This record gives sequence, C-alpha cells and structure tokens, in this order.
Amino acid sequence: MKRLWYFFREAFMSLRTHRASTLIGIITTAFTLTSFGTFLLLYHNVHNLIGQVQHNIQIIVYPNDAIEPHMLQDLKKSIQADVAIDSLTLISKTDALKDFKDQFPDEAYLLDGLGKNPFPASLILKLAETIPSTDAISKLVNRLQQNPNVERVRYNRDWIERLTLVITYMEIGALIVGGVLALASITIIANTVQLAFYTRQEEIEILRLIGGTNLFISIPYLIEGAIIGGLGGGIALGFLRAGFEFFKHKTHMLNVIGGFSSVFEFFPFSLSLLIILGGIILGCLGTFTSMYGWMRFRL
Amino acid sequence: MIQLFHVTKYFEGCLALSDISLRIEKGECVLLTGSSGAGKTTLLKLIFGSEHPDDGQILVQNRNIARLRRADVPYHRRTMGFVLQNFKLLPHRTVFENVSLPLIIRGLSSFEAKRKVIEALRAVGMEHKQTTHASVLSAGEQQRACIARAIVNSPIILLADEPTGNLDPQLTTEIAELFKKINARGTTVLMATHNRQVVEQLNGRILRLDCGHLISDQGAYA
Repeated sequence: MKRLWYFFREAFMSLRTHRASTLIGIITTAFTLTSFGTFLLLYHNVHNLIGQVQHNIQIIVYPNDAIEPHMLQDLKKSIQADVAIDSLTLISKTDALKDFKDQFPDEAYLLDGLGKNPFPASLILKLAETIPSTDAISKLVNRLQQNPNVERVRYNRDWIERLTLVITYMEIGALIVGGVLALASITIIANTVQLAFYTRQEEIEILRLIGGTNLFISIPYLIEGAIIGGLGGGIALGFLRAGFEFFKHKTHMLNVIGGFSSVFEFFPFSLSLLIILGGIILGCLGTFTSMYGWMRFRL
Repeated sequence: MIQLFHVTKYFEGCLALSDISLRIEKGECVLLTGSSGAGKTTLLKLIFGSEHPDDGQILVQNRNIARLRRADVPYHRRTMGFVLQNFKLLPHRTVFENVSLPLIIRGLSSFEAKRKVIEALRAVGMEHKQTTHASVLSAGEQQRACIARAIVNSPIILLADEPTGNLDPQLTTEIAELFKKINARGTTVLMATHNRQVVEQLNGRILRLDCGHLISDQGAYA
C-alpha cells in the first residue's frame, strides 16, 4: 500500500515539478490523437453512410405467377435464413396493383381493359447492416435464380460491387493511416518521456544505489506516461467534439452535403472511451520504449 | 563476509585493478587508501555490484557477485549501505522521505518504516531535521542524512566512498565518529579515503592501493 502511494505520489510530483515537459507531452499527444481521431471520425461516418446506403439497396425477387402459397412460404424462409439478408417484404399481386393505382391515379384507366391483374408478386430483400461481401450476395442471387419457383431476380450488381470495393479500400486505408499515426504518437510520446527521463537521471541513479529494481523505478514513469496520454486523449476528444459540432453546424446551415448532414454522428461512448484508453496505452508504450533502451545496459 | 580472489578490472583497456585478493571479516573496519586513480572506487563498485570484474571472483556473504544476474543486483544492494562523497540525496524531498526510500523499496509498512527512519535519524543526530528539504541542508547535514539512509535498512556492510571529501575538518571528525559508532554496533565498514585524519580516527585495517595494485595490508585479522 505504501509502495502504491509512493508510485502515484512520485508520478504526480514529477508531473508538477516538470511542468513544461508535461505540458509538451500532453499537447503533442492531444494533437496526434486529434489527427488520428479526425481520420477515425471520418472513417466512422463514411462507413455509417455507406452502411445506410447499402442497407437501402434492394434485391427484388419475382416468384413464378403460379407458385403455391406453401412454396412461397418455403422460398421466404430459405431467403430469410441467409445472413446477407436483413429483412424481406412480400408485395402480393393485389398490393402491387394497389400501389400502382395509388402512385399513378391518372393512369389507372390503362389497366381497365386488361381484365386480369398484370402485376407480378415480388419479394423485396434488404441487405444486412453488417455489409455482406459481393461473393455472399452473388451466391444468394445465383441460388435464387436456380430456384424453379423464381421467375426473375433484379439487383444492381455493379453498384453493390463498387460499394464493397470502396469499403475494402477504406478499411485498408484506415489500417495504414491509423498504424502510421499510432507509430507517430508513440515516437512523440517516447521522445517527450525520454527528455523528462534525462532530466531525472540523477534521481534514477539514487534509486538504483539503494536497491531499486527496474520495475520499481519504472512504475511512476509508466503512471506519468499514462496520465499524459490519458489527458492528451481527453483533450483530443474535446477538440474532436468541438470540431465535429462546428462542422455539423456549418454543413447544416449551408446545406453543403444535401440531406446527409443529419446522418453524421460523433463517436459512440465506447469509442470515445477507446480514444482516451488509446492515449493511456500510447503514453505507457512511449514510456516503455524510452525506458527499455535506457535501462537495458545499466547495472 | 567479503572475499576477493585474483580480481582484475579494466576500463577501456586501462588497468584499474590488478590481481586483488583479500578477505574482510564481519565487523571489521577497513580503510582503502591511496592516491586518486589508485582503484579505491572501482573496488567498492565491484563489491556493490555496479561493475563486473574482468577476471577473478568476489564473494559477499557467500554470494558470488561476479556471477550475479542483472535482476539480482538490486537485492544484493539492499543488504548493504553506500555513502558517497557527493551525498546523492533527492533535493526536493524532505530528510524523512530521503531516508525512508530504501524501506519503501523493500515494501515495509508505514509504521515500521517510520520507526526505523526515526531510529536512523537519531543515530546520526538528525531527528530534528526530518521535515527539512534536503536542498536546504548544510554539507555536513546532507552527509549525515546520507549515512542515515545507508543504515536505515540495518545493513551488514556499509560502503563509503570518500564520505568526508566535501567536508571541513570539524565535520570530518563528526562524520568519522559516526562511522566508528556504526562499526561498533557490528556493521562491517569499508571506506575509501585519503584523509589522514579519518584514517587515524577510525583506527581500522588499512589497505593501500597504488595504480590498481594492493601494495599493503596493515592490521588485518590474523
């Protein structure tokens, strides 16, 4: 308990004593995490937007006109069992006719001469929100096309493929940019901690002199790194929120992105916590990398 | 207690200690003398585990220091105290905080730590200065605080490297007297010094080093 108290007291005392380097550490972490967060926020919203667009993509299945009701039920069940599908709506022949009449009341007279309802029944399939791969969609469509109870399947293959490709590229891009920014953060924090470290060599020497292990000496510095990283993460989150609100307000006022500005959302609570946690982890990693090299060859 | 067998040490190709063999018994007061660069500090550092010998073996309390794993060095150091010429106190901490550090490292309870710190400070006559910051202490007081920190763990061996190097003759007498008292309580004292006053006052066994060679050993136990 006394040790724990010592570790935290040392960490806070050091933060207070070395105000300048602490401030530099917090600011650099905040800026690095803000750039990373901006990218993450962009990715999060584009991903959401694409998800929504994709969710609205429909596959329309036209069953045979002569399909028996129990066969239609079987067809519905087999479609619903597919993971790529979120929901399924049956539009009966009667519903299709009614929809036409509702939408085009002036043209309803055209149907009078036909006697029989010319509209086919259809099944409207909506894709799952967890974006299915093009392969999964193709497999489903192929399966449906081979079904003897299905007359025709209509969907925009090119559009779905292009969208899936965009998502894949975005994910690869996110990984690369995220990785580079995370490495940059670690390097910056490591340098900041190392600077603080050099100013305290005397102190570390004293601790070694009286039998302090590397772990004992390191813990206050790790706590210090975690505090710097956590505060930097918190500030970055504040910057991101303010920037996001400003952007949303401006785009809403100017109507720059059409109706899409209402779709934009900030990070959910869990992701916000993850930014702060990311800051803490970066702070610890930065401390660890700078300390490891320093302590490795010292007796 | 401490045994050296044919210990040799080089620093960047220069000979610092050459084929040193000696034996120090429990409770002895040993004074390492010789001019600057004779190898006194190197010998202390080897015993303390902050340097490895290039050749030979060092046994401290039957533990071979030459073969000590890096991770075990701190635990070896906890069994001894080390007093340096330049004090090495944390300037922004109080005397109490400085002296209690070795006990915190060992993980002693607050109650036990406080009792031991007060005891150590009383032994060096610094009980009244426990709340004073180390940076405002005089040189003599700093060295006393440093000695208190070295003895707070009740070490079996106390190493000292020119502990009176920065002190005037009056303070030197006081510090030497402290070492004498510590030795009288059974602690083995090994001190590097070239101060004649200290050598005479402590009246211990004298090991004379010259250019890394042990040239004389006066007053060794039979």
